[in-house]
Amino acid sequence: MGGQVSKIMGKIFGTKEMRILMLGLDAAGKTTILYKLKLTNQDVTTIPTVGFNVESVTYKNVKFNVWDVGGQDKIRPLWRHYYSGTQGLIFVVDSSDTARLEEARSELHKIINDREMKDALLLVFANKQDVQGHMSPEEVTQALQLTKLKDKLWYVAPSVATEGTGIFEGLAWLSNNVKTQPAK
Amino acid sequence: MSISLPYRPADDTALSLAATTSPSKSNGLPHLSPSPSIIHRRTPSSSGNSARRRSLGNGAAAMYPKPRRCKSQYPRDSSERHVEYILVASFHIDRGPIMEHQYPAAISGDESMLAELMLPDQTHVRSQDWTIFFLHKDTSADADDDDDASSTGKKKKKKKKSRATDVESGDGDSEDAGGSTEEESSDEEEGGEGPPLMYVLNLVNTKQDNTVKRGAVVKAMAICTRHSFLHIYKPLLLLALEDYFKNPYPETLASLYHAVNSMDLSLMPRLSLLERLILQASNSKDMFIEKFEQMIHQRQAEEGGPFDDECPPSPRRPAPPRHTLPRDTHEFESKIVYNDIPIPVKVPTVIWPEIVGDFSLIKLIQIFAGPHATSPQPFPVHPHLTTSGPFTHPIIVLINAMLTQKRVIFLGHNRPSGEVAEAVLAACALASGGVLRGFTRHAFPYTDLTKIDDLLRVPGFIAGVTNPTFANHPEWWDVLCDLPTGRMKISSHIEPAPVTEGFLYFQQQAAMHHHAPANANTDPSGDNVFMEEVQRSITNRYGENAIRAKCRAYIMKFARVAAAFEETVYGASNLYVIGPNEELSPESPSGLQADPLDPTTLRGHGYVWPDEGAKQRELLASVSRIEGWRTTRSYYSFIQDIAAMYYPSRPIQKPDLAHHHDRLRALRLPPADAGAIYIAFAHAVKDYAGICQLLTVTPENQAGLFYLSMGLFHPHQPVREATVELLERIAAHPAGRHFWAQLNRFAKLAFFRIKRERDAQSPASGTAPESFGPQSLVGVAMGDTFRRS
Repeated sequence: MGGQVSKIMGKIFGTKEMRILMLGLDAAGKTTILYKLKLTNQDVTTIPTVGFNVESVTYKNVKFNVWDVGGQDKIRPLWRHYYSGTQGLIFVVDSSDTARLEEARSELHKIINDREMKDALLLVFANKQDVQGHMSPEEVTQALQLTKLKDKLWYVAPSVATEGTGIFEGLAWLSNNVKTQPAK
Repeated sequence: MSISLPYRPADDTALSLAATTSPSKSNGLPHLSPSPSIIHRRTPSSSGNSARRRSLGNGAAAMYPKPRRCKSQYPRDSSERHVEYILVASFHIDRGPIMEHQYPAAISGDESMLAELMLPDQTHVRSQDWTIFFLHKDTSADADDDDDASSTGKKKKKKKKSRATDVESGDGDSEDAGGSTEEESSDEEEGGEGPPLMYVLNLVNTKQDNTVKRGAVVKAMAICTRHSFLHIYKPLLLLALEDYFKNPYPETLASLYHAVNSMDLSLMPRLSLLERLILQASNSKDMFIEKFEQMIHQRQAEEGGPFDDECPPSPRRPAPPRHTLPRDTHEFESKIVYNDIPIPVKVPTVIWPEIVGDFSLIKLIQIFAGPHATSPQPFPVHPHLTTSGPFTHPIIVLINAMLTQKRVIFLGHNRPSGEVAEAVLAACALASGGVLRGFTRHAFPYTDLTKIDDLLRVPGFIAGVTNPTFANHPEWWDVLCDLPTGRMKISSHIEPAPVTEGFLYFQQQAAMHHHAPANANTDPSGDNVFMEEVQRSITNRYGENAIRAKCRAYIMKFARVAAAFEETVYGASNLYVIGPNEELSPESPSGLQADPLDPTTLRGHGYVWPDEGAKQRELLASVSRIEGWRTTRSYYSFIQDIAAMYYPSRPIQKPDLAHHHDRLRALRLPPADAGAIYIAFAHAVKDYAGICQLLTVTPENQAGLFYLSMGLFHPHQPVREATVELLERIAAHPAGRHFWAQLNRFAKLAFFRIKRERDAQSPASGTAPESFGPQSLVGVAMGDTFRRS
């Protein structure tokens, strides 16, 4: 029934499609987030991503095509090939890996300074909030120097990917803010 | 002049026969002269004569015995190894792909590039995957990057050089079993484009393992070989990679390396180009079995001293027959012993350029033909590609794209990378037909984003990828072939086709007689008919070979049409070597005999159309893609191949056998013209290689000897008798006997009737040779084939 209604709503308002690129350092939890989104209530165990994963997730009447690209430093130069046409960037940070937060900041700024990414929304998942010694979303915001960003719509969402907490809130933010853009 | 000359020689006429045929060939120099070695070989040298003398045994098959040693394709003493390297790579959770071991030595400086290729994208979502990729040799560090550098540039100068010299010294003194004009051809891989590719077959396994960090181990093992039949190593890689998971040491690589390199292929005979053409086109499982027999006899003579092959193995050789004849001469059966497990392998006897690995053309065609048949989608029109309008068949678009050197990508998202690699290999085979070259050398059966910059430096590549991000970059490709949906896309960024001289020429032609266009024919290029035929064959469960033969014929036809096009537009063609006495002027009609005393000086060459209108329509339909092809690598290497390989392999330069056979087939010739062809053929086609050449234009799947046998029903007796002589020679030929056996009964009856009549007359005339031995021929005709064993 609910599906029926949302289909009708979809007919009235049109379904939006959004291309999302999910990046982050290796072992940040990107693939886990992707499959938690896709397979809502199931346990997800992942192994390192060789190359990439891509899945479509429909949430709140928006169809998200989420690209999850492997994070080992050697393959990070390939990220740029995924930029064109991307409307939203999800940057996943391991909040407990404080030693590599500076590395994450540098990678993030490289991405969002690219011309092709200038219109993309930025959602940061401060992931692994369940691990001892993790940083809070505010600390992550500080460490990533997000407040320096001008003309950029961004949001930091705390999450525990393995339990699925926080990730749909993040998507909700994306779908609310994508409304300001023309649907493609 | 009577036509009694070509009777089968009795002993004393043999030498004169050799003497009369040889000079007539060597003095007729073609415009593009073949390599000197060939001319030299044709002169009646002492070796040539002795070969012939020995050939005059009794018994039909002994007419063409083995005049000299049959050479092996893979001699035992060759310094070339079957497999040159074994590699192992793994995915390191912190560093990404890394190379773990290489045996017997490190293959190149750029290990990480290789490791990336060995661990294809998304390998973490499947437990097993195969990939194939090719390695090139760079001539220098600073790169001829415009053409050859392709992604996988490889430095192996030393290795290559030693190999090249091996080949030279091996061939310099060689003479093939046919004893006449062959070899060289066997080295076509070397021709034009530098050293052969190194083919890499790679197996990758992902094993879930809770004891290691992040829960999985991903390892890949690869075999690097110069053999294009790399698929035979698949079972070995499966075993060896499994072993490597248990014993991750170089020793595991070493034992695989030694196992594959001790594979014995030395009993596989080397065939000449013409013989290979015949074998490939034939379905007979015992075509050229004599050569395999001879290899075994030679081996036995070497090993066991003189013992009679009729004898059972003598007591001191208790082993059962160690060498058995192949069940199907298209393949050679051998085995590889790995860890005491004998693994049977089948190696193809005939290797063509550009045919690599085991792929299926049928599969490729079906993937794209299916969606096109159910709901065709219009292509944006591009003169090189959509040669039959927006609804051109996608397979034709693909062939056109490759012929005109476009950038083609096969995308298989969520498919194993082995699947995209197979599609790339199939596409190369499709466009090459084993005739044209320059595709595999620029093919990347599997590649990923890491090589994109190198890839884009290659003009006109064929690449297989699994990453759908390629679809979002139409500036990277001209044609995108999506395997999961079976749809092809022409890029919005594709370069428009330039206007060329040929195009303008045909525009003028069309303007001059503008009555012809459009209405006449909806399929002037014949492409729709071709695709329908191919699909009918697939539906009727014809095998892969039949489909490959059809595609090969399509490419050969394309090349012949292109030659006719060049002659029409430019007055001469690079794609055809004009025979002696031949004139290019269109006023000299086919079938005119240049020299009234020499029936073989029959004029005419090239592709045959039923009438001038049909020719104009077909050329007009193909003008864009032919002009597009004329600037490509495959065009230039084809010209080289014609001069260096195809033309010299043909002992008969006049008349043009293919052309006149096509005339018999396609035209309704008046009896006088047809008769001239039969008589010319009977005069020209005499020796072993000549008959081979004739058989290549009469393949089984195109009616075989049927059109030749029609000469038996010609109104003039001399023509009928000439045809009998020709067929007699063919029936006694080791390959020809298979063709003869397939000839219909009606023709055979006519054959024997004419022979009887002639034999009845011959005592009266008194001049015809008496030495004719009909019994043996009858034996052959009845399928009572000669066997040695």
